[in-house]
Amino acid sequence: MRIKATTFNRVLLGVLLAIALLIPLLIRTNQYNLVLVTTVLLFGVLATAWNIIGGMAGQLDLAAFAYLGLGAFTSGTLLIRWNVSPWIGMILGGLVATGFAVLVGFPLFRFRVREVWYALTSSALVEVLKVAFVMWEDVGGPVERYLPYYSFSLYHMRFGTYIPYYYIMLAILVIAIVVNYRIGRSKLGFYLRALGEDEDAAEILGVDARACKLKALMIYAFIVGATGAVYACMYGFIHPSFFSGARSTEVAILGIVGGMGITYGPLLAAVILVSAREFLRASLGGQMESLYLVIYSVVLILIALFRPQGIAVFFRDAYRKLLSKVTGDEHVLRANTPGI
Amino acid sequence: MRGKVVRLLLVPAVLVAIVLSSCGGPTAEEAGPAELPDKIVVGCLEPLTGAHAVFGTEAKIGMEIAIRHINEAGGIQSLGGIPLELVVEDAGETADSARLGAESIISKHHPVAILGLYISRLTVAASEVTEREKVILIADALVDSVTAMGRQYLFRPAPKASQHGASAVQFVVEAAQQTGVPIERIAILNEDSSFGRSNATGAMQAALDNGLTIVYQKEYPFDIADVSSIVNEIAAAKPDVVVHCPYFMDAILFANTFRETGEIPKFIAGMGACGYTDPESIEALGETAEYYSNTYSYNPAKDTPQNRRFVEDFVAETGHIPTEAAGMNYYAMWVLKEALELSGQLHPDDPLNPDNLRDAFLQLDLTSGPAVETYPGDRITFTETGDNPYAVATILQVINGEPKVVWPFEAAETEFVFPRPDAKY
Repeated sequence: MRIKATTFNRVLLGVLLAIALLIPLLIRTNQYNLVLVTTVLLFGVLATAWNIIGGMAGQLDLAAFAYLGLGAFTSGTLLIRWNVSPWIGMILGGLVATGFAVLVGFPLFRFRVREVWYALTSSALVEVLKVAFVMWEDVGGPVERYLPYYSFSLYHMRFGTYIPYYYIMLAILVIAIVVNYRIGRSKLGFYLRALGEDEDAAEILGVDARACKLKALMIYAFIVGATGAVYACMYGFIHPSFFSGARSTEVAILGIVGGMGITYGPLLAAVILVSAREFLRASLGGQMESLYLVIYSVVLILIALFRPQGIAVFFRDAYRKLLSKVTGDEHVLRANTPGI
Repeated sequence: MRGKVVRLLLVPAVLVAIVLSSCGGPTAEEAGPAELPDKIVVGCLEPLTGAHAVFGTEAKIGMEIAIRHINEAGGIQSLGGIPLELVVEDAGETADSARLGAESIISKHHPVAILGLYISRLTVAASEVTEREKVILIADALVDSVTAMGRQYLFRPAPKASQHGASAVQFVVEAAQQTGVPIERIAILNEDSSFGRSNATGAMQAALDNGLTIVYQKEYPFDIADVSSIVNEIAAAKPDVVVHCPYFMDAILFANTFRETGEIPKFIAGMGACGYTDPESIEALGETAEYYSNTYSYNPAKDTPQNRRFVEDFVAETGHIPTEAAGMNYYAMWVLKEALELSGQLHPDDPLNPDNLRDAFLQLDLTSGPAVETYPGDRITFTETGDNPYAVATILQVINGEPKVVWPFEAAETEFVFPRPDAKY
């Protein structure tokens, strides 16, 4: 029996989603495994969002945790001060992050700050915000601010178990992937990829580089900002150390290693690399303190050497082979649908 | 088409909803009659990688030596001599890694207590986990707010940051009284972490309690590159003494700038154990380090058999005397040992139950024994918040290039130098 490629894709997606939905129920007694899968999803969301600005538009953005921190502080402050639910804080956090992205992105793209200069500027942004929030006593300051503790409160988005956080993260991830996929197939997506490949050439062909990049940056900032609200609730406090340059770079690494511009690439990288790193940390971290970081970096270097297009490409080729076997359609082997 | 997708999503969604509704919280097993294990597992959760690894590693060695000494002395006697066993986990340097570390160590090893985290924000993140799982957390993070979160299972034997600040002021006041040098005006400086802030708060309170006038107060970023304007402002305010909570590089910067400008007050006292009197700072500063002091949560010179033994073993293993992180965790482990002993006496039916162990901690009142012999104060007991109200910091002063214990006076190794011979005003 021949199956259509689209049907096969759908079934596979459904199966994957069902597995993702069922994971926490299978491991629900083990809090460690739960926090681990939730952390994987967190980085999956961040890297998937990064794919829009980094993967498609080709802007090496190193400021993920700037937007995450803004979202966390917005929602955390609203909750601590005025008892506003983080569900609302999430949207507002996303908006604050977006607003900030406009504030930063507009002049940057207007004055054609790009490539390494964009990377440098964005990484400086994280540090600037960190200092600013340490000094801004009303909201930040050097002392941690705690979120009220509840063992299970939907209104406060505070739970004694990670299961709800997992599903919230999963929901954001699904949204991020859908947004990614939609953009990938829209006019904006083609413009962005054109810009990512050769900005000057794209502009000559009439692509409005400034507007497109700004749109990409705004969408990315909103998703990351909203995630920041969940991040604050999950860890139970807000602190300027959330503006972490190292973590921001990690997000970019996941995006690059996953495969620039491929929708599921960053997620794939997050699943593989974050869990591998955590596995190494948990098994080696106590005995040979920094060995796991060495192994982790060697793995990254090997991927960069042998799969410079990202691990997603490897999976895509394997998947296409499988697909051609199942559908008996040789065409899928050569298919080159962008963004998939 | 759309209908298909919706149906596809519906099945797992319903499944999830059913299971979710059945799991409001972690299911606790009914506690049966207590059966004692053949060893008691204690967790070491410290930042062993990243920016704070140097502290975490020292802390871990302190714990290892303590466990060795406890087991050599016959383990927990009230529980039939069960030995302790240390399991180690890296807490990394961020809230998420600390959280992962806490979940991992608890689910894998089920420790009765965890020592650690050193950094307050890591402690905050992990303490929500230890609280939920009812695991005793013996904190070595000194920021005051750590014990102000309302945690039930968190204890901190070491002096908290504000007690460090208060000790620094107390030392200066007592030294001034002894030498007959009047002091009235004080300047308080701190780097801009929650730790620096807590230290300064304690110092301010102590200054006001002692009737001193705070003529200058400043919080600055710990990675500050030039401090000459601050030093000039201090000189203009003409304080008798400066009490300062630095990190490391900024302490070196301040000491050098004070020397270069020559505007040196009667005394400059450090607080919070970072900078000025540690071996690296003394080496970097050379003669400039002379007469600077700092506060410590551990007194390596305390002349007791237990402390001598600890210092000896520590030096044999690492080549240097125990740092604060190592010392704090050495006596913290002994405090845990004493609490376990007491729990065995008070609750022989179920001594390792977290609530019974917590009760033992609250009833603990130690004035002798190995824990007190290595402790900077002479009494260890805990309030409901988990702090020891009798905690004091020890003060070390650099004299002839060596850090020497000078306060509390009865535990002093050598006579303090006050005021500074090079004081200009």
